[in-house]
Order: sequence, then structure tokens, then C-alpha cells
Amino acid sequence: MESEETIDRRFDRQTLFRYAAAAGGAGVLAGRTGIADAMRAISTAETGRLQVMDWAGYGNDGGQSMFASYVKTHAANKPQFSYMTNESDALAKLHAGAKPDLFRPYVGWVKYFATSGLVQPWDPSLISNFKHLNPFMVKAGQYGGKQYGIPDDWGFDAILYRTDKVTPKSNSWGLIFDDRYKGKISWFDDLNMITIAGLYLGFKNPWNQTDAQLKQSQDLLIKKKKNVRLIWSSETNLWEAFGSGDIWIAYAWPNDWVQMKKKGLKVAYMRPKEKPVAWVGMFMLLKTSSRPKLAHAYVDAWSSTKSAKWLEDNYGYGHANTLARPASSDLLKALQLTNPRAVTEPNAHLDRDIPRRATYANLWEQVKAS
Amino acid sequence: MNNIALSRNGGRVLRGFFALVVVFLYAPILILVIFSFNDSDFPSFPLSGFTLKWYRQFIENGDLRASLWTSAIIAAATSIGAVILGVLSSIALARRFFRAKPVVSALLLSPLVIPYLVFGIALLLLFHQLGVARGIPTVVIGHIVITLPYTILVLVPRLEQIEEALEEAAYDLGANRLQTFRLITLPLILPAVVSALLIAFTTSFDEYAVASFLVGTQSTFPIYLYSALRFPSQLPQVIAVAVVVLLVSLTVVVAAELGRRFAESRVGV
Amino acid sequence: MTTPGLLGLPVAWLGVFFVAPIVIVALYSFNVYTLFPGPHGFTLDAWRTVAHSGIYRHLFWKSIEMSLIVSISIVVLAYPLAYYLALSGTRRKYVLLLLLIAPFLTSYLLRVLAWKVILGDQGVINSFLVWTHLRSPEHPISQLLYSRFAVMLVLAYIWLPFVALPIFVALENLDQRLLEAAGDLYASRWRAFFAVTLPLSLPGVIAAFFFVFIPTIGEFVTPSLVGGTGGYMYGNQIVDKFGAGFPDWETGSVLALFLIIVVAILTAIFSRFLQPQRVAAE
Repeated sequence: MESEETIDRRFDRQTLFRYAAAAGGAGVLAGRTGIADAMRAISTAETGRLQVMDWAGYGNDGGQSMFASYVKTHAANKPQFSYMTNESDALAKLHAGAKPDLFRPYVGWVKYFATSGLVQPWDPSLISNFKHLNPFMVKAGQYGGKQYGIPDDWGFDAILYRTDKVTPKSNSWGLIFDDRYKGKISWFDDLNMITIAGLYLGFKNPWNQTDAQLKQSQDLLIKKKKNVRLIWSSETNLWEAFGSGDIWIAYAWPNDWVQMKKKGLKVAYMRPKEKPVAWVGMFMLLKTSSRPKLAHAYVDAWSSTKSAKWLEDNYGYGHANTLARPASSDLLKALQLTNPRAVTEPNAHLDRDIPRRATYANLWEQVKAS
Repeated sequence: MNNIALSRNGGRVLRGFFALVVVFLYAPILILVIFSFNDSDFPSFPLSGFTLKWYRQFIENGDLRASLWTSAIIAAATSIGAVILGVLSSIALARRFFRAKPVVSALLLSPLVIPYLVFGIALLLLFHQLGVARGIPTVVIGHIVITLPYTILVLVPRLEQIEEALEEAAYDLGANRLQTFRLITLPLILPAVVSALLIAFTTSFDEYAVASFLVGTQSTFPIYLYSALRFPSQLPQVIAVAVVVLLVSLTVVVAAELGRRFAESRVGV
Repeated sequence: MTTPGLLGLPVAWLGVFFVAPIVIVALYSFNVYTLFPGPHGFTLDAWRTVAHSGIYRHLFWKSIEMSLIVSISIVVLAYPLAYYLALSGTRRKYVLLLLLIAPFLTSYLLRVLAWKVILGDQGVINSFLVWTHLRSPEHPISQLLYSRFAVMLVLAYIWLPFVALPIFVALENLDQRLLEAAGDLYASRWRAFFAVTLPLSLPGVIAAFFFVFIPTIGEFVTPSLVGGTGGYMYGNQIVDKFGAGFPDWETGSVLALFLIIVVAILTAIFSRFLQPQRVAAE
């Protein structure tokens, strides 16, 4: 759907590309060069390297292209990375004294961190690429009318399965609980499994289940755990196991389907009738940060169209920048990138705050221990 | 020569068994070597073709090299510190009698017990409380704690096997404690000391959990590795590194072993 | 140097950098310290919850059983290896010892990864079985990987070289004259072994068992990589309490402290056991 607005935006980009080519640099990435200059002027008041707490693969261990434009314009404040294995790990490190300037929890944690007193809202006017970001994801990063999270990477949770080995009874999350495929199923190591169980059992609000509902969900998981060969926590693990035929059915992200297809396997990425879940990474700014403007510049680099395309082409995750398109048509299809409403109802359930997260965590860990 | 410990047939059986175990130990390593040349993003059969690109990528990977260097420094400092503390402890445990010995030896060996993840967090909190910044020194401190029991477990049996009579003879001849240690005990326990150094070094070099909490913004090799295991694009390079690390460490150990044999031939025990 | 002089530095080091942190963990288990700011105070609630939960108890015993099997197996396997090296009179014993220990010097994580390739459904073992028509391609042996078996096998593989070392040291320092004396008294080789070699090498054997049993109870890396759902161990649960889902440092501290207490008791028993051996040897 090409609205006039979209055409205008693209035309502007073409102008910029010509500027950039003439200037002989990669200044396009910072958006309109004017704002980049202004930000640089403001940013020089902040010193030292930008402290970024991020997930593995997003730092200097492979993600350099995502913030290359920031490094170019802020060479004196190059990012320095510490790593978070997940939000719980980040939370613990923050309370134990770690002092990054920004970090990246996912959308289900936005409300938690927004009300925790640890973070401050962003100023979207300082982020030139903000307007290109998917509005539904942007809204999911807000709390109390303020923009606490800037969305960038995202994806779906759905089911990947081998079409030559598996015939689902119906397009449903129930496939990961299917007794017929005992020993060939893989779950994801996350308390979201409780949510999925609740979704499958038909509860109205799986993210905030009652005690009775939680017991049902946990019982289902414990009962069906015997069918599960492996509970994966890293994609490498999933790819090895799926690629070597150890598992045929997996809770998986869109890129996992693309990769297994590339490997020559006959696979399908199922959209369950109960709907897939969508996850979105949200940059958040620490209240104690002494480099907020630099942080905005960094996030702006991450949100650019060029970075977005790189992420989609290289890591297979979606990016909130609606202008970016990956080279792979398979990925385009799996992420439904032509549909800006892809992450929201009725197409999918956007991950959201879990008020009783500690209880969910406890129950999930008991499932694993049982 | 009639060997009371082993008959000829017994020797053959054991030799065969030894060979079998060696094959068992090295097969997975051979697999690693094979996959370091495999032209595929992640290791599974069937093989995809020969390539040297992973080695090239790893050499160009500055972060990976930096993590190796960081690990090496930490491991060196750790092994020296652990062996010093280990020798002091072992002499006390093997040569002295005191009522608190069971308790003290329990204390000195107890770091073997604690899950490294919990220890890492606990130390992190301690340093936070004391206002000490995280970095290489904090990792070294943690690693010395972890490797100290291993040094003791290697040194104490050796000390116990050496006859105290040798040391007593030295005292009778007028040597003081320090001289006795330097001239009699130390040369005799040197093989065990070298083993202790090596064990401490390799334990520290390979340690993940404690380091991840205490190292702050830098990366050690295992931390880099663990994140590579979680992030597919890095994996093949890291396998190439593992092969290189193996070759380097084998060279180091062989050199250390040659040095040790030289020292032993001089001492004659 | 006096005994306090010798022990001063090591004990102080451990006091500050080991005991103090453990005390902190204990304080977390009693809710005296908490991760999040807010009301807190001494309470045994977390301990009570864990004590009443069958799940944690079951997991703990499962882990003990796995560690026991692994430890006993590899001590039994390592003894003949160490014996061969130390007592066969081979001139290349240090080279061979080196050969044995060397795999231990490669990366632990990657050696575990290599096993995943060997044990998988299309891995080396199963491909071989299919190739020799011992099994059909549709029915590989699936229990090899992502199972309790895989965890125990890999742990045994990882620790075997490590365990051979103390046994070797003990056997190597055996006074050969005692064996010769046994020979002079017309003892058979087996008799000499049981009467002389085995008892005198026992401290090394016990140390070796210790070397592997204690750390493996708290193992979490290998189970997380090859254990699948069946190989989940006590250590994994502690890791999860601290590092996944939502931080539950109280329960995690209880679990961790319980593990520490159990092993401290075992250690005390073992070290007492080692003392009389030494006296007997003299």
C-alpha cells in the first residue's frame, strides 16, 4: 500500500543517497545530515565510551554493522559492551552495581522496568529514524504516555516442523504437546512456555493467569515433558538438533525456518490458530546514565534503514524500521514484513507484561526440574 | 627383567587398554579438527567441503584475539598465586600436626564444592560492597580461590610420599627451615609443582561462570566461546580457534615437560 | 616457618574471598540481604519452602546418583591407565601421561560440542550403525544424545584425564623396594598388588574420586549442552534461579547453600579417612 507519505519518504531517501554519494561518505545512515550535525554538537558535552549492555551477537562480536554509523560520527565515544544473557541476568547485574548507559530488554518487560525506577524515557525527537519505526511496536514501548522503549529487533514465536515426518492434527500450538511425536519435540527455555500452555488451553489472558489456571498450565507442561527431547535456549542448539534430525517439531523463530529450509530440509512454519506470539527488543535508557545524548545517537544508528536491512539479511530477525526489506523472500514471507499490523491482534499476540512473572518463573523451573 | 608389578601378558592387556582409551579421548578432538575445515555454518554430518576461511576469519577477529590474550594473562597470574598459596598450605597439611587440621583442610578444599555461578555472583556482591571495580584482578582473585584446592590435592600426596627423614637429615646437618625447603623439599616436589601450575593455568583459562561475573567489560576466551555457542555465526571460527589453542597448549605442555625432565635428571629422584 | 605463618596467607585469602561471599549467600537465603530494595528481614521461609518441595529433593538425589556413577566408573577406568604408566617400566611414561592429559587442555565447551556431533541421530555412531545395517535410518538410537546417558558419558570423558593424574602420582611414588620385598617373599603379582600397591595408592585413589565426585554434583554446563530434558541436574536449577526467568535469589541461595553443606560434610569425613592411612603407611 503505497500512500503518498511513503512515496515522499522514499523520494527523500533518494535525495539523501545522492548527497551521500557526492559527499563520498556513508552519512546517509544518520538520517538527514543536519540532525546528525546537531546531535554531534550536543553529544560532545558527554565524554567517555558509551556503555552498552546487550545480547551476545549485538556487540563487537558480530553486530558491528548495526552501529557502524554511530562509530563513524562519534569516534571518541565508541561503544563498550557488557553482555546480558537475558533480562533476569541484566536485572541482577543492574542491582549488583553494573552501570551501563543503555540495555535491551524485550517488550514483555517494558512495564516492569518503566516502573522500577531504573530507567528514564527517551526523547524521540532526538532519534531521526524514529518515524520509520513500526507504530504498533513503538506503542508497545510506551508506558504512561512516555517512550521508555525503542523497538528494533523483533520476531515471532511459532512452530517449525518437518513436513516429511510430521502431520499436524490441526494448525495449533498443540503440536508441541503431541504424544505421537514423542522424543522429537523441542520447547523453548523460557517461562513463556507457561503462557503458551495457557494460550493452548484457551485461557482469556495467558499473561495473567489465576492460580487455578497456572496449575493447569504447569500440569500440562509436566505431563507432556516426556515428549520433549530438548529445551533449547540458543539458536545454535536448535539448528544443530533440527538440522541433524534429532528433532522434528520445535518452538521457533522465523529465521529458524529460513535456515532449515536453506539446509535442504522439508519444513513448514506454522501459524497456530491460537495465534503466534510476537517479541520485540526494546532499547531502554538507564536513569543513572551520564551519556543520554550519546545513547540516543546510538539507538538512532541501530534504527536506520541500512542497519535494519543488515539485521534482516544477516541475523534473520525482523527490524522495526518499516522501510527495510531483506534479500530473502522467504524471510519476508515468514515475518510478514509487508504487513505493518503483523505483530498485533488479530494476526499475532504481542508479548506483554506478566504481572506475576516471579511465579511464572518458579513454575517453569519446577517443570524443568520434574 | 622380572617386573613384580606387571606380567608380560598383563602389560600387553594394559597397553591395549591404554591405547583404546587414548583413541576414545582423541576422537572428539579429531572431529573438531575436521569441522574446522568444513565449509558449513554449523557442524553436522554430512560434510560440506574443504575451506580455510574459518582460520582466516579468526585471525582477523580482533575481539577473539583480545579475549585469548586476556585469558592467558588471567591464567598466568592465577597459577602463580594458587601455587604459592598451595605450597604453603600443603606443607602445613603434610608436615605439621595440629588439632584443627580436618577443619583447615576442609576449608582449603571447599572451593571445589561451590557451583561457580553462585561463587561468581557472591564475589561480585562482595566487591560491590567493598567498592572494588571489576576487571582482570577480580577474576584472578576468584580463580585463585577455585584452583587452590587442585594445587593442594596434587602437592599433598607428593609431600606425603617424600620421606621426612630426608628433611630431618638436612636439619641435623645444620640447615635451617628455609634452606631445607629450598635445597631438599622444593626440588623433590618440583614435578608436582609443575603439575599444579599446569592444572591451575588450564582451569583458569577454561573457566566461564566466575569470569563472566567478575571481568566487567572485557571478554575471556570461554566467555567469547559460550556466546559463540549461542550465536551461530561465530561458531565455525571458534572451532578453528579451539584447534589452534590445542596446538599451542600442547607445545607449551611438551616444553614444560621437557623442562621438568631436565630438572628431575639433575635431582636424581 | 611456624604453622600459623604457613597457613596465614592461604587461610586469610579464603576467609575474605571465599567464606565471606558464602556468608553473603547465606544471608540472601535468610532474606537478610535481598536483590531488590524493599522490606526484608531474617526469615526461614525460603528454607521451609524448599524443604517441603519434593521436586528439589528428587532433583538433588538424581544428581548425586549421576555423579556417583560417573565418579566410580572413571576412577575404576583410570586406575589401570595410571598403573600401566607408573609401574610397567615403560620408558615413555611421561610422554604417555602427557598424551593422556593433553585433551584436558583443549576447550571444555568445544569438546562437549564435538560429542553432540558424535551422539546425534545422524551423528557418527548412528551413521555407522546405519551404514553397517545394524539399524535402519528411521530408527537411530535416540537415547545417545539429550539424555542422562549423554551427560554421564560426556562428564566421564571430560574428567577421565584429570582423574588419572593423582592416581599416577600416588603409584609413581610407591616405594619399589616394598614390591621387591613382596617378590622376595614369594608373593604372586596379584597378592603383591592387593597387599602392597593398592593400599598404598589408596590416598591417590580417594583424592581422584574426590576430584570428580564433588564438582560433578554441581555441574550445569554439560547438562545444559547435552542433557536435554532428562539430563537436567541440580546445578541447572541453581543457575536458573539466579540467571533466568525472574531472579529468585532467595531460593537459589537456599539450594546453593544446601549443596555446600552436604559437600562440606563429605569433605570432612574424607579427610578424616585419609589421616589414618598415612599413619598406617609409616
